[in-house]
Amino acid sequence: MTAAVATRADAAGRTALKGDAVLGLLMVAPIVITMLALVIVPLGQTLWDSLHRINPMQAGTPFIGAGNYARMLGDADVGRAWINTVIYVAIAVSVETVIGILAAALINQVKVGRQWILAAVILPWALPGVVNSVIWLFIYQPGAGLLNAILVAFGLPFENHVWFNDRWSAMLAVVVVHIWRMLPLTIVIVLAAMQSIPLHLYEAAHIDGATRPQMFFTITLPLIGSAVAVAMTNATVAAFNIFDEAWVLAGANLGTRPILVQIYLETFQNLRFSYGMALSLVLTAISLIVSLVFVLRFYRTTRFE
Amino acid sequence: MRRRLLLTTIALSSLLLAAPALAQDKPYAGTTITVLMPSPQSPEIAAKFEAATGIKVDLQTLSWDDIRPKLIAALIAGTAPADVTEFDWSWTGQFAAADWYLPLNDAIDAETVKDIAGSTIFTINGKLLGVPYTNDFRVMLINRKHFTDAGITDTPKTLAELMADAKIIKEKGIAEYPVGLPLSPTEGASTTWYLLTKAFGGELFDADFKPAFTTPDSAGYRAMAYEIELLKAGLVDPAATGLRDAQINDEYFAKGLTSIMISGEPGRLGQMNDPAQAKVAGQVEAILVATESGQTRSYGLLEALAVPKASANQGAAIEFVKWFTSKEWQVENYGTGVLPTRTSALAALNDAGKLQSGDVLVEESKYVEALFPQGTPTWYPEFSTAVNTNLNSAAKGEITVDQAVANIATAVEEAKVE
Repeated sequence: MTAAVATRADAAGRTALKGDAVLGLLMVAPIVITMLALVIVPLGQTLWDSLHRINPMQAGTPFIGAGNYARMLGDADVGRAWINTVIYVAIAVSVETVIGILAAALINQVKVGRQWILAAVILPWALPGVVNSVIWLFIYQPGAGLLNAILVAFGLPFENHVWFNDRWSAMLAVVVVHIWRMLPLTIVIVLAAMQSIPLHLYEAAHIDGATRPQMFFTITLPLIGSAVAVAMTNATVAAFNIFDEAWVLAGANLGTRPILVQIYLETFQNLRFSYGMALSLVLTAISLIVSLVFVLRFYRTTRFE
Repeated sequence: MRRRLLLTTIALSSLLLAAPALAQDKPYAGTTITVLMPSPQSPEIAAKFEAATGIKVDLQTLSWDDIRPKLIAALIAGTAPADVTEFDWSWTGQFAAADWYLPLNDAIDAETVKDIAGSTIFTINGKLLGVPYTNDFRVMLINRKHFTDAGITDTPKTLAELMADAKIIKEKGIAEYPVGLPLSPTEGASTTWYLLTKAFGGELFDADFKPAFTTPDSAGYRAMAYEIELLKAGLVDPAATGLRDAQINDEYFAKGLTSIMISGEPGRLGQMNDPAQAKVAGQVEAILVATESGQTRSYGLLEALAVPKASANQGAAIEFVKWFTSKEWQVENYGTGVLPTRTSALAALNDAGKLQSGDVLVEESKYVEALFPQGTPTWYPEFSTAVNTNLNSAAKGEITVDQAVANIATAVEEAKVE
């Protein structure tokens, strides 16, 4: 009798489990199907195509193995574009993270009209990259540009200064526009995390005699770690994919050309489609690996300690 | 009543008899085609073409630089970006190799091909892939008032005279930077260097496409050195390293800030002498391209109309190409700044006194050569980018002219490997 009841209970449990599993599968199905159709399958197809020679000027699409990947190792233009890209990433991610956290902390202190400040801050991010770049193109203009006019007003010798005639000032000019566009996102992500920190932690710290910097480093920073990791991941991926700013401001200029412009030239100018695909895959892999480092590091510090 | 019936019968019979003839005149009437061309184009194109053929046109315009990526994205996918598209001279090698466009030999009559001399540039392996519609060969444009104000009465025929005149204009304070010269990493910088290479009496490549611009005594090397010399002498605005040719035309020459456009576009004459579009209206004229020897040379940068093989309306599309390149439309369309490609249309405009600097244009047109007499190579875009990026770097002082020409030659050899 007891055994029969137990068997029935087991069967009911299994049925419920099965029902939960089916429900779970149904609930994740839309995202799984979407990811398969729009990410996994195209990625697989791109990987497969990158192992072939796909150039409409040449007959057939023969399998060439890792030929495209080997080619990029000896491609001087690609090498130079990678160096430029790494410089962009290093500057953009560090500046966006540091200024993003500080700006978020500042906005977090504002009690009245915060929504208006946020709306103003988010505007550059809301604008298309090309629009931002064209605005800055006018700002950087040698003759009537705003930047030169401001510097001249301060008595500095910047009349008709051409910012893009020097590689380093040109790169700086490009990355400033990128930071201008992406910084708001970092601020918003970090600010959201800051607002979720319970106030009583600060009150307790205050009673214990902690100073504001001590509260920032011992309470705020550790508790926004995950958000900072997300913001840095986003900043890294965006900086690796820098295109609009470099293209609008400096075109194919060798000194400022990032890897994505190089990919564009290889694909749409030189019609080496599979080489462009191989370069794109390497770019994706590298930006994901770098992002993963941030995520894992912050995950450990915030979860395991 | 009987009379009315008779009249009705006659009218209906006439209509029935005329219908096949009408259908023959306008065999594609009612069809709608898409056309993709660079902006701006005449707003009257669609209405006039429909009136002539009964074919409706959905005319799409994009900036010239944006057209190529759109074409390639569609063509590589096996679809037609439009039924008729822009087809630049510099794409002929690549697009012919890719076999994306319909040969028009059977559709375009021999008389038209003869009247449009530039058709040869678009004929690859005997296949006519595009019919030129805009005659973009190069002359030099000068602001005659600047020259007169500087006390210069003679027109410069040599490159040395040109530089000397520019120095006088600068010294007299008429223009701070008298020479308009694009040095940005854009196609306009490349095409100017090609023109100066011709002006120095040379070619870019030999018959086997081996670079002919690497030694210091070669025309290409000297052309680049000449450009850098103009820049270093303060005759060219240092900001030219970031300016496209169109920007120099619109924001400098049209406003009277420069006196000489080295690589002048004949089609710009109308714009430059239109008071609504330029401050220098009435001051601008074309001169023959100044060269080292004094004997002018030029080359064609023609743009054509072509029909993708993937077009579903090839017949109607060909009708558009024929209409757009007809003598009548070319004469009419000159008003919007498009210089005719037909010799007969050019002559008609000149005879009517409508062609600005007409005598110079007709004279220069006799010396227009193909940039690549062997046919535009498939690696042309790669070569062009190597030219303008290295010229840009040399202009900024990042590399020497020696390094620039060596880099360009290396890029060509690498591009030829595939």
